[in-house]
Amino acid sequence: MANLASFFNALPGAVSQGLIWGIMAIGVYITFKLLDVADLTVDGSFCTGGAACVMLITSGYNVWLAILAAILVGMMAGLATGLLHTACGIPAILAGILTQLGLWSVNLAIMGMKANQSLNVSNHELLVSLRYLQDVSKGERPIWQHPIFVAALFTLVLVVILYWFFGTELGSAIRATGANPNMARAQGINTNFNIVLGLMISNGLVALSGALLAQYQSFADINMGRGSIVIGLAAVIIGEVAFSHIFHNFGLKLAAVSIGSIIYYVVIQAVVSLSEINTNYLKLISALIVAIFLTIPYWKGKYFAKPVKRGGSSHA
Amino acid sequence: MKKVLAVAMTAVMGLSLAACGGSSSSAASSSAASTSAPASSAAASAASGSGETYTVGICQLVTHDALDAATQGFKDALEEALPGQVKFDEQNAANDPNTCNTIVNAFVADDVDLILANATASLQAAAAATEDIPVLGTSVTEYGVALNIPDFNGTVGTNVSGTSDLAPLDQQAAMIQELFPDAQKVGLLYCSAEPNSEYQVNTVAGYLQDAGLEVEMFAFTDSNDASAVTQSACDYADVIYVPTDNTVASNTGIIDGICQPAGVPVVAGEEGICAGCGVATLSISYYDLGVTTGKMAAKILTGEADVSEMPIEYAPNFTKKYNPTIAEALGITIPDDYEPIVTEEEPAA
Repeated sequence: MANLASFFNALPGAVSQGLIWGIMAIGVYITFKLLDVADLTVDGSFCTGGAACVMLITSGYNVWLAILAAILVGMMAGLATGLLHTACGIPAILAGILTQLGLWSVNLAIMGMKANQSLNVSNHELLVSLRYLQDVSKGERPIWQHPIFVAALFTLVLVVILYWFFGTELGSAIRATGANPNMARAQGINTNFNIVLGLMISNGLVALSGALLAQYQSFADINMGRGSIVIGLAAVIIGEVAFSHIFHNFGLKLAAVSIGSIIYYVVIQAVVSLSEINTNYLKLISALIVAIFLTIPYWKGKYFAKPVKRGGSSHA
Repeated sequence: MKKVLAVAMTAVMGLSLAACGGSSSSAASSSAASTSAPASSAAASAASGSGETYTVGICQLVTHDALDAATQGFKDALEEALPGQVKFDEQNAANDPNTCNTIVNAFVADDVDLILANATASLQAAAAATEDIPVLGTSVTEYGVALNIPDFNGTVGTNVSGTSDLAPLDQQAAMIQELFPDAQKVGLLYCSAEPNSEYQVNTVAGYLQDAGLEVEMFAFTDSNDASAVTQSACDYADVIYVPTDNTVASNTGIIDGICQPAGVPVVAGEEGICAGCGVATLSISYYDLGVTTGKMAAKILTGEADVSEMPIEYAPNFTKKYNPTIAEALGITIPDDYEPIVTEEEPAA
């Protein structure tokens, strides 16, 4: 099958895209799973990161500085949501929506009141780019500039840092806040502070992911974050369903989120490459993928669980 | 136990990297094959003009009349130039710029002979993805802006070329003055999410200000606040101008519903919008634009022309058109050199 061959050729691109979105998904994991807050800021802060990164690079700043700035503005978006939630008493989901709404204008302002800012890959040295996929395979660039390698390295470093951080007293306090806020307060933890901090870390990661994606695709677009929360949740859920039985360590759980994101993008790429399906149905297919991954564990428990004796579960 | 898992995890990562290494080397060999292909195909077409088949990937940002017409014109022109020799792989990103990456990635992996990128985000994704496969854009207004090329001189010079949907903005500004000589204030209505609109309204505003008119920008975010912004534009302006804006194109009903009762005429940048809510427009046919792009593609595929030397081309001709229904309702007399817009028209080939 020619289609199958083209799908395998397209895999590196799909995997690198999955890895880049995986960083965003780890951000979503922090709010959704650890803090137990549904944070919708993501749709806005993803674009904020991309916009800040593209604008700084095109103004001649260093790539690393641009990425750092992207993380910082993302954290500020998280701070805004956090303060709206804790200081102003707005329910978390609404606070996120408000920030997301406001960020639309902020993002336009960052991009010089334009909806789309382009980053010419021929004129700037970037960390990741769709172009580098071809350059590496042609041997024009060293293998370590392959987007998969760069994005995987970013993910690995982030997982290590987050693993360390959530083991510290401060990180544990964030986890305790999400697990049981009343108990956490009883232990003398300032839950409001921890919610704000968690939202800042999460949105910093989301903006970092946006900055990498903007470099990867060579442009920042006002619409680029739209619907990203769905991709983030999909990655979290796919990662959890696929690996929850074997990954118990916290660091591995974070890695599972990233792998979940890769799976998501490989499936999407398969749909585009293999089938004759009209790509207008892509969103419906995305919804189906997530629904399937949510259904499998439920049905497995309900219909396929063997009526074994107590204690028999250890056979696996 | 944890260590076992860690090892398993590393193995998975390693495997995925190895898989990619393998496939990228095969991509290398296929791209090597493709570099020789155009040369041989050029020779073949020079000799007999037949035999070779080509695959063309089409990445269209969103489905709407103008972009659909451009894609159709492209396909028709290419079919005519190379009958039966071109296989089209048509994909639509459903207005999600991120999906363009996935689509273009599949084209590049497939090693198609040419990519048609319909609308700005498609062009940006395609230009980022490959520097070997020829990329032709269409329905893109300004290539220098879209690809971040400083001091753009009309030729991109890489593997990218294409056609621009820019109708002459100075003539559009002149049209506003010609039709509404008494107008003092012009409102420029557009969607802030549209990369091309900003450029157009600024340029038109410049021409109008030079002519001594007052102008003000009215930008809306999406269809949800379109009516509120249109209302304030109506309150301000004697005439409203809308550029070739995709969001406006989808919301002409809202704009017409507010402007017509208020008695404020709308001059549109494009025929589809004018048919919905405008009085008059300087029209380009997106179908003709697609045909022009298709002819460029045929030259590239047969090896007759080098994409890096091809300048951006524009629509072949412009027509002054008006919307008889709205013009009549507002009691506006239209000069004789304007053609009425016929609803349910097929774009003239």
